[in-house]
Formats: sequence, C-alpha cells, structure tokens
Amino acid sequence: MVKRSEHRDLFPGALELMILKSLNWKPMHGYALAQRLKDISEDYLQIEEGSLYPALQRMLKSGWLETEMGLSARNRPVRVFKVTDAGKRHLEQELASVERMFAGVTRVLALAGQ
Amino acid sequence: MNWLRQFFSRRRRYEELSESIREHLDEKIADLMDRGMTREKAERAVRREFGNVTLIEERSREVWQWPTLEGAWKDIGFALRQLRKSPGFATIAILTLAIGIGGMTAAFSVSEAILLRRLPFKDSGRLISLHELIREDPHDFNVTAPDVLIFQRESQAFSGVGGYIGAGFDVTGAGAPFHAMAERVTASLFPTLGIEPLLGRTFTQKEDENAVPVTVLSYSLWRERFQSDPQILGKTIDLDRRPYTIVGVMPRSFEFPLDAGRLSHRDLWVPMSFTSAEKNSEGENYDYGLVARLKAGVSMAQAQIDVDRVIAMIQPSYATISTGLHLRGYFRTLREETVRNARPLLSVLLGAVALIMLIACVNLANLLLVRTAGRKRELGVRLALGAARRVILRQLLTESLLLSVMGGAVGAVLAVFLVRAAEAALPDSLPRLNEISIQWPMFAATFGLAAITGVLCGIVPALAGTRTEVLDSLREGNQGAGQGRSQQKLQSALVALEIGLAMLLLVASGLLLRSFAKMLETDPGFQSQHVLTASFSLPHLDYPTQQKADEFYTGLQHRIEALPGVTAVGFSTDIPTVGQNQGRLITAEGHVRRAGEGFLIASTYLVQGNYFEALHIPLIRGRFFDARDEGAGAPLVAIIGQSFAEQYFHGEDPIGKRMKVGDRFDSAMPAITVVGVVGDVKQGSLDQPTSNQMYEPVSQAAAALGPMAAMLGVVGNMDVVLRTTQDPALLTPDLEKLVHQLDPLLVLSQPHTMDEIVAATQSSRRFNTVILTAFAATALSLSLLGIYGVLAYSVAQRSREIAIRMALGASRKIVLLKTLRFALLLTAIGMAGGLIASIGLTRFLKSLLYGVKPLDSATIMGAVLVLMAGSALAGLWPARRAASIDPMQALRSE
Repeated sequence: MVKRSEHRDLFPGALELMILKSLNWKPMHGYALAQRLKDISEDYLQIEEGSLYPALQRMLKSGWLETEMGLSARNRPVRVFKVTDAGKRHLEQELASVERMFAGVTRVLALAGQ
Repeated sequence: MNWLRQFFSRRRRYEELSESIREHLDEKIADLMDRGMTREKAERAVRREFGNVTLIEERSREVWQWPTLEGAWKDIGFALRQLRKSPGFATIAILTLAIGIGGMTAAFSVSEAILLRRLPFKDSGRLISLHELIREDPHDFNVTAPDVLIFQRESQAFSGVGGYIGAGFDVTGAGAPFHAMAERVTASLFPTLGIEPLLGRTFTQKEDENAVPVTVLSYSLWRERFQSDPQILGKTIDLDRRPYTIVGVMPRSFEFPLDAGRLSHRDLWVPMSFTSAEKNSEGENYDYGLVARLKAGVSMAQAQIDVDRVIAMIQPSYATISTGLHLRGYFRTLREETVRNARPLLSVLLGAVALIMLIACVNLANLLLVRTAGRKRELGVRLALGAARRVILRQLLTESLLLSVMGGAVGAVLAVFLVRAAEAALPDSLPRLNEISIQWPMFAATFGLAAITGVLCGIVPALAGTRTEVLDSLREGNQGAGQGRSQQKLQSALVALEIGLAMLLLVASGLLLRSFAKMLETDPGFQSQHVLTASFSLPHLDYPTQQKADEFYTGLQHRIEALPGVTAVGFSTDIPTVGQNQGRLITAEGHVRRAGEGFLIASTYLVQGNYFEALHIPLIRGRFFDARDEGAGAPLVAIIGQSFAEQYFHGEDPIGKRMKVGDRFDSAMPAITVVGVVGDVKQGSLDQPTSNQMYEPVSQAAAALGPMAAMLGVVGNMDVVLRTTQDPALLTPDLEKLVHQLDPLLVLSQPHTMDEIVAATQSSRRFNTVILTAFAATALSLSLLGIYGVLAYSVAQRSREIAIRMALGASRKIVLLKTLRFALLLTAIGMAGGLIASIGLTRFLKSLLYGVKPLDSATIMGAVLVLMAGSALAGLWPARRAASIDPMQALRSE
C-alpha cells in the first residue's frame, strides 16, 4: 500500500466492509469495484487496486461472496462478485457494530474535555 | 465439508483469480486507451497502479492454501534446489553424517548383542557359574566331577544345579562321517537353564544315572543332517560307533555353553553319566562346569555363604591327596562369564566409534558455519527485498533437516551393511555373534544428535546474520570484519577439537599396530611351516586297551613315513597355539615349598612317534623319547619345558631328577625321571604368556598316574603331526586314505596346515588392529578435511587484507608460509590436547596391548608426525590459493 502522510490507515476490517457494501448495492467485477471505491471516497482513501484481490479471495473463502459471469461496461464477459445471504448478514452485523463504535468514540471525544 | 470442497475446487479458484485479474487489467487498459494513451503507456500505467501482479496473485492464492503443509513442501523443494547448487558441500555433509550415524549404530548393535543383552535363558539374571579354587594357587578352575554331585545334593541356595563338560564324538550313520562337538550335561542342566526343547524332551535323571545312550540334537544338526525330519524322535545316531536314541531337538537360538562364540557351537548334548572313575576322582580334574539358579529371594551374599558351607563339607576328602590345601568356592553370574573376554575389545570399539561420531558432528558444524557465512549476502538481499525473517529461517531449518534426513538414510544403509560385515568378519571367539541385529533406538538417537547438530549449526549463525548487520554487509560488499573473526575463532576451536580426537585415535591404533607386529615377531617355540596336522579319536568299543591304540598309532606312523616328502611324523594329545591342554599337579623330589608359593601345574602332552622333530621343537638338554621308553616296565620318563626347568630346578641340571604327580613327593605315586629339556611352545595365541609344560610318552601315561591310572582310560584322542618338504596341504587326501586303510570308520577331522592354525589364533588381534586403524584413518581424513575447510574460509574472508599486504610488498612466499603456519599452529594446539587425553585414556587399552606400553614413545612420535604432515598437506591448497591472489584483481572486485 502506498502511504501518504495526509491519509490515515484503514482500521482492520474496513476494506472488507466497504467491499461488501459496494457489492451489496451492485455486483461488480474487480476493476469496477476499484473505480467505485475511488470515486465515492473522492480519492481520499488511497487503495492500491491489486490489494482488493486478496481481500476478495478471503471473503470468497469465508462464504460472504460468490462469483458469477456478467458483463462489463464494455460488454465484455467478466467475472462478477456478488454478496451471498451469509455475506448480507455479516454486513448488517458489522455495520451495526461499527456505528456503535463510532457513536461511542464521538461521545467520548465530545464529552471528554469537560 | 467446506474445506474438502474447497480443496478440490482450488484449481478452478486459481484459474478464476488469474482471469479476474486479467480482466481487470484489460478493462483498465481499454479505458486509458479511450482517453488517448498509447497502448504501451496504458499498460505501464495500469501495472503501476495495480501493484505487483505476481505478488498479489501469490498472496491471493495463499488464502486458499494450508500454510503449514504446503509451505513445508515448498521449503523442501527450495532446500533441495539450494543443495543441488553446492553438490560438493552436500556430498561431504551427507557422507559425514552417514559415517557417524551408520558407524555408531553398527558398533552399538554389535556391542549390545554381545555385551548387554540378557542371555536367552529364562530369568537369566539368576543364573550363576560356580568355580573352585585352591587358595594357595593362583589358577582359575571350574569344579571336579564329584563336586558337581555334592553341590547337587547338598546346596540349599540353588533351585537347580547342572554340570557340563565338553566331549567329541565321531558321528556316522547320518550323512558323511564327521566329528561332532558335543557336551555331556547332567539331567538337571536344561531345567536349570529354563529352556524347553523344540521337539521331544530332555534327559531324565534315570537316563543320566544309568548311562542310557540318548541324545538331544541341536537345531542346526537336525536341519542339516536330518532335513528337519518331523519324525526324528526315536531314531538313532551313531556316536563313536554306538547307537544313541534321539529324544529331543533344541530350539534354533539355543546355545550352551556360550563362552567361545562360534567355536563353541555344540551339535548335540548327551547325558553326563559320570563313570565310577570320575566319581572317585576328588581333587583331580577341575574341568567340569557348574551352572546353578539362585532360589527366589536368595541374594548373592547368601548364596556365597551356602557355597562356603558346601566347600567345607568337601574339604576333608581332600586330605588324602592334598594336605595343606584350602579349597574355596566363588561364582560369577553367567552373563558376566560370557562377556568377560569380549568386554575390553568391544568397549574400545564403542569408544572409538563414539569419537568418530563426535568428529563427524564437529565437521558438520564447521561445514554449515562456512556455508551460512558464505550466504550472508544472499540472505541480506532477500531480506531487503521483503522476505519475512521467519520464512528465511524456516527455509534454513528445512535445509539442515533435509541434510540430516538424507545423511540418516545413507547412514541406515551403511549400518545394515556394517552389521552384516561384522557378523562375517568378527573373530570367532566372540560370543553370541549370531544374535547381532540392528538396534534402531540407537539409530534414532544418533540421528537425533546429528539433526540437532545440523539445526544448531545452520540456524544459529543465520539467526545472528538476519539482523541489522545485514545492511552493513550489503554496503561493504563483504562480511563485517567483527562477525567474520568471531566465526573464525569458533571454527578454529572446532577444528582443534577434531584434531585432538583424531590424535587420540591415531595413538590408539598405533599402539595396536605395534602390538600386532610384536605378536607376529614372537617365537612360537616351533616351526609351523611345512607341517600338516589333523585330529581323530579312537572309539572305546573298538580300541578297549591302550595297546590296541598304540598299535594304531605305530601303524599309521609307518604308513605316513612311507609317503614321499615326509620327514617326520608324531602324535600328541594336544598341539601348540590352540589353547587346549590338560594340567597336572607336579612335585619335584627334594623341593621345599616356600610359604605363599603356588603349586606347580604343568600342561601335560602325551606324545608318540617323532613329535618334537615334526614340529622342530628344539632339544636343549638330554634326549627325546625313544625305544627305551616303550616296553612294559620301562622306567617312567618325562621331558620338561624350559620355563619348567628354570622355575622348578632353579638353574640346576634337571636331567636325572625325579618328580611325581600330586602335591607332595612322599606319596604312593610312581616317580618319573626327567630325561630331556625342550624349548617352550606357545600353548595359546602368541600374545599369551608361556606356561610350564611337560611331555610323557603315551605308552607310559597310565603308569605315571599310579593308583589313579583308571581315571585316564585309553588315550585315544590324538592329533597327528607330520612334516614334509612340499606343500603340506597337498598331503591331506593321502593322509585320509591312510587312516581309512587302517580303520574305515574312523573320521579324520580338521586337517589343517600348522601355518593356518597359527594364523587363526592371530585373527582376533588382527581384527582389533584393522578396525581401530580404519577408525583412525577415518578420523584423520575427517580432521584434515576440517583443517582444509577452516583455512579455505579464512583465506576467502581475508582475501582483501591479503591483497593489501601483497600490494604493500609482502612476497608470495611469506603469504604461503603464514597461511601454513596457521594450519600447523592449529594442529599443534589440537595435538597437545590429544596427547593429554591419550595419557589419561590409553590405559583402558592395556588389556589389548602386547609387548607395548600404553605411552610408547615411538607410537606417539609416529602419530605426531602423521598429523603434522597431514595438516601441512591439507593447508597447502588454501595456502597456495592465498599466495596466488592477484592484489589488483582482488581489490578491484570489491
């Protein structure tokens, strides 16, 4: 991963979450996924495109994703990653937990100074 | 079953992964090209933004792998490739390991079978072998025939007592006639040992007491002569022309007695059946063995008290023949008896092999140190490129383990081979040779030791090397000076240790070599060249009187003398160097025994014909036996050996002096006159001390024993000795023919030339010497290899320094000499250590030496010279390489 000083490191599991959320919205192939993550975060999160793949494989192994054939934007046949039911459940749980964490941190940051 | 499905679909996964990545790249390239980039630029940009494709693909694949198993497999493949790149190192390392592991396992296996393993009898720790001794006499005895019976009857500490004594029989009626080695045993012997026969039964007490002709066969005899006939029981076999009924067959592994290895293999056992002469022969013949089993709960000390008690009962019956003698009884465990003679040799062998193993480990350590040092750079580069330290260590570990495994495999093969060779080559006098088998636990232990050595010496320097010095090493392009020097010190210390150990072995083998040479130089007391000898035993049935036996001897002698080339023919109850002899207590007229002086026991040979001339035993005084001594009523005469004459007659002329059998002169025994003195002959092997000897004519043998003549019986077991001008072996068929002419049923056994017999007695010492010298040679070559390695490494390390010196003016010769000096210094240090160790340890060799002191200066000098010369040679190569360094090139290449 190329690091630049003004960007923070991602917390563990963040990448998987973002991938799951994006794929949940729409099943995509690797390139499209990378593009989407870049677009949405407005380049804020610097993610090397290749590093998606080990993460994708891990999620395939855990059973949260599955592959099927689809079409790319250029109408080429590509392999597309899709979220499974188990993946959806995992996404919901993780989102809830992350929101709780952020809420807690926010409260501490807001009130700690008093 | 998720993982199972995953395993089988893995190939598909990999393909999918590759294709996904491919598609990703293609899409992106297409996009960029749409925006106006050229194909080339697009591809480069895409790859840059994607990252390292190969690395990413591999990381992604790893998700699907089982890290431990697959990683291990990859590591092994990697290690194999690394090893194949340095074949020299790998070969030497594997050979070193194989020699150490294989040799150690083989030596231990042999020792274990012979020394350590329990005897193959039930509860063998409770079996003891009983001996009697006369307090006033230093000789070692067994027991007398009557005492066997007394101990059987009276002792209370033993649950079983068995007596045994050797016997020989001519066997006819079972294939070609041959002479069988047998043992007469009391009926109680087999039950005491606790061995059940394979077929049938052993003897009953009644059969023993009534001299019933029954016999128990050995497994090998049953197999070879009777083709393992299952109907063997009840059939008969002719022993000395008398039919004996076969009542049992012993199991395959059974041997008794166990004392002399292959030589003691008994073909069959017969009941002891003491004759009345034997039963009345108190205090005469101590050749009967006695083995007993301690009762449960009885300790050795208690048994000794009981033995003393029985001895006290026997003592009074000694009064008739030997007043003033005190009888004692002692015993050893049967196992101790069996291994006593083998122990010194085998302990030395085991020690030597352990030393070799040590040297091999040290060598291996050195090899690995050198190798790891040489790869510092490679490791540094790999670390810098991003390899995990853990991975590198794991690979190094695998490499060391792989070496150990391969070395162990070759070592196992070597061990099997060595054990086979040992069974064939070990001297016949070692007991239990046929029980040798590979001891795999020892193999595992030595393998473990080698593996640990490999791991330590491969890993530890690598561990040290994968720290921050790595970057320094890359920067300088050479190993950091500090690191290299401490490693070199370690290596030098190891090599010095090796040399010390090699020195020890060299000294030991040198001592044995000198002992062997001394033995060969020893005068046996006769001339063994051009002499043929053979044994026969006249059966009592056909030769019931001594006269008949004498007729046979005379007839045979005349016929042999008629053969062309024969110069002398003689007969004797025993021949020199084979270690058999019958001892007799002798007292000279007028001899006053000083306090504490032992009795004179002379080995007695009964001879006939021209025995002395046949063997060229020199006459020193007086005369040989002749016709004067043969008639009935002829005065009793004897010829004595030189040691006998000197010891007993103290320099006076013994000719004409008289002596008697027994412990005093004023007895009813007949007087014997000394008529001649001959040179001593060696009765055992040449390195055994000479003992007192005397000769009597066969025809007078019974008369010389006076009242006890009945004990002797007819002298029918004889060795014939003949001297010829030609090759003696050629006469064997003629000799056999002549014997058959006189007696068609008589078996002539063990025809050998005297040279062969003498050589056979040397075989044990020859074996020791050869083995130890082989060990020393191995140790020497391993050490020299070590010197070479250290020196080569040091030269490579310091090539820059040497180059600078040479550029500054040092001549090539000086460089050469300095390098050599280092080698010799190392050797000298090692040698000094080895010498000190020799001083301490060579006294363990004492029992194996002959005619040589343990600190023999010639041997030590020799070892020093050999080692010095060897190390100078080993150091020459690296020294020359150092001297031939081209300073300009060496400095430039940095």
